[in-house]
Amino acid sequence: MENNYIYIPNDPQQEEFRCRVPLKDTEQVFVVDGKGEKMGLNLGKGEILPQMLQVIAVRSRQAQEDLSYSTDYRLAERAQAKVLLCSHTLSMEDFTTHECVNVELGKGAILDMVVMQNEHNKSKHSTSFKVQMEEGAVFNLNVVTLHGGEISNEIEVNLNGKGGECNVNGLYLADGQQKVSTRVNIFHNVPECHSSQLFKGILDGESRTSFSGKIYVAKDAQKTEAYQANNNLLASRTAKAYTQPHLEIYADDVKCSHGATVGSLNEDELFYMRSRGIAKDEAKLLQQQAFAYAVLEKVANESLRERLHSLLESRLRGEFSECANCSKHCC
Amino acid sequence: MENLIEIKNLHANINGKEILKGIDLVVKPGEVHAIMGPNGSGKSTLSAVLAGKEHYEVTEGTVKFMGHDLLAMSPEERSWAGLFLGFQYPIEIPGVTNVNFMKTAVNEHRKQKGLAPLTAAEYLKLMREKLAIVEMDPAFSSRGVNVGFSGGEKKRNEIFQMAMLDPKLAILDETDSGLDVDALRIVATGVNKLKRPDNATIVITHYQRLLDYIVPDIVHVLYKGKIIKTSGKELALEVETRGYDWLIKGE
Ligand SMILES: Nc1ncnc2c1ncn2[C@@H]1O[C@H](COP(=O)(O)OP(=O)(O)OP(=O)(O)O)[C@@H](O)[C@H]1O
Ligand SMILES: [Mg+2]
Repeated sequence: MENNYIYIPNDPQQEEFRCRVPLKDTEQVFVVDGKGEKMGLNLGKGEILPQMLQVIAVRSRQAQEDLSYSTDYRLAERAQAKVLLCSHTLSMEDFTTHECVNVELGKGAILDMVVMQNEHNKSKHSTSFKVQMEEGAVFNLNVVTLHGGEISNEIEVNLNGKGGECNVNGLYLADGQQKVSTRVNIFHNVPECHSSQLFKGILDGESRTSFSGKIYVAKDAQKTEAYQANNNLLASRTAKAYTQPHLEIYADDVKCSHGATVGSLNEDELFYMRSRGIAKDEAKLLQQQAFAYAVLEKVANESLRERLHSLLESRLRGEFSECANCSKHCC
Repeated sequence: MENLIEIKNLHANINGKEILKGIDLVVKPGEVHAIMGPNGSGKSTLSAVLAGKEHYEVTEGTVKFMGHDLLAMSPEERSWAGLFLGFQYPIEIPGVTNVNFMKTAVNEHRKQKGLAPLTAAEYLKLMREKLAIVEMDPAFSSRGVNVGFSGGEKKRNEIFQMAMLDPKLAILDETDSGLDVDALRIVATGVNKLKRPDNATIVITHYQRLLDYIVPDIVHVLYKGKIIKTSGKELALEVETRGYDWLIKGE
């Protein structure tokens, strides 16, 4: 099967994981039940990671207890890296994982981070991203939550040096009884920094999602630009999306905006598509893909972006839920 | 020859208000019908009911389309069966490109006929051929469906879609409104190019000028949800010069 990206051995302790369709120019490392040979990054001054680092974290039945671990990504002055963090569950146990991702970016350092969460319905996974940024550093984060029981992402970014830029985006999908919560806190502690947030959710079934996003602008953080948007698409009447923006602005020369929407599928668009012979389900799918498009387009790596589009499509087609061994459909 | 569509005593409500009050209309293959009528007479309502739009409640009457009960079919089934509606107000779908939209539609039609989906190259060829009919730039195909299109471009896009889907019966709801003279000629010529002995068109319009290009065999005047007059193409000219008053008074 073409989509069968990872080879998962029957006995993960004995055999090795492999990727069948590796992404281009990517180094792959596995973290099994919170343990791996390579966790995190430590780059010196001006060091540029030649390939994208893909960290595939899996939970297996060998370790069913609650896990918590943290990883550090430290990039010194002008260092650059691209990182893809994937998380999966290999069997149907009630896994609970608490993860902390610490990011420290020196002057002018650039980190592109994509997070792909694809776990089964009983899994609980909370991740806390703590980011410290110095002058002129750039941090791009895209969190794609495809599947999971209870997923929580907490993102805290501290802009501590002038001219810093952070773009944090996310796409979350939830159906059945799934829950996804997102909390973003952006601290503009110094002048002349940019931040943007775009989070979109597609909800079906009786799922619940929450988004709470705070932009804090300190008193002397003049010339701050900070934007935030959260849009949710409800595909069922029983799904609920909560959204709560907060602005805390103490400076006066700033450009800030926020917007939040919760809407349902557009009837006129659906009818138009159906009148052209596009079956109802397919029309819904097109609409949901169109909704998600803006977030996935922010993923800079083209082959990764294409894979995310195709994973999104199979997810929206409900292919994930039919698969007993969920991890086999993921990248 | 067998009738393409047979509408008998069709009554329909929106929000409990009766809009169509007993429509009878028969269209045979090869025919062009024009429906005229003052604003609010129910022309768009009739086309919406025929295309299967939700919230329109048919309270009485029957519609047979190529021998099948049209009213029992979903909007997509009607399309597969060969019905096409050119919208008076085409819908914009941001985020769905024209090419993706039409490719999905064409392949759904093919699936219904048991045909394999078109390859990218086959689709491109077909698309270019049909775009040429309405003199549309292929650059439109990568844009969101109707997003940012001018009024005229939207109408041309409707005829492009009609050309792609090759319907048996096309209902064109005011496809001429908002068109400048060149666009009108292009759209009308496009419709004429698609005309065959085995298909038919219903054009809904307020203006004779469209009917100079697309010459109707039969002209109907719809008023307050009823067809009050049916005649040859000379009726359109008469409406153009005399308005509707003389017909309404006769009612
Ligand atoms: N959703 C609706 N709820 C209530 N009334 C409606 C609704 N849609 C249409 N109508 C009414 O139905 C009547 C017929 O409207 P319709 O759009 O079919 O007219 P039309 O003949 O196409 O007019 P036009 O020439 O202006 O396009 C109008 O009185 C209109 O106000
Ligand atoms: Mg109308």
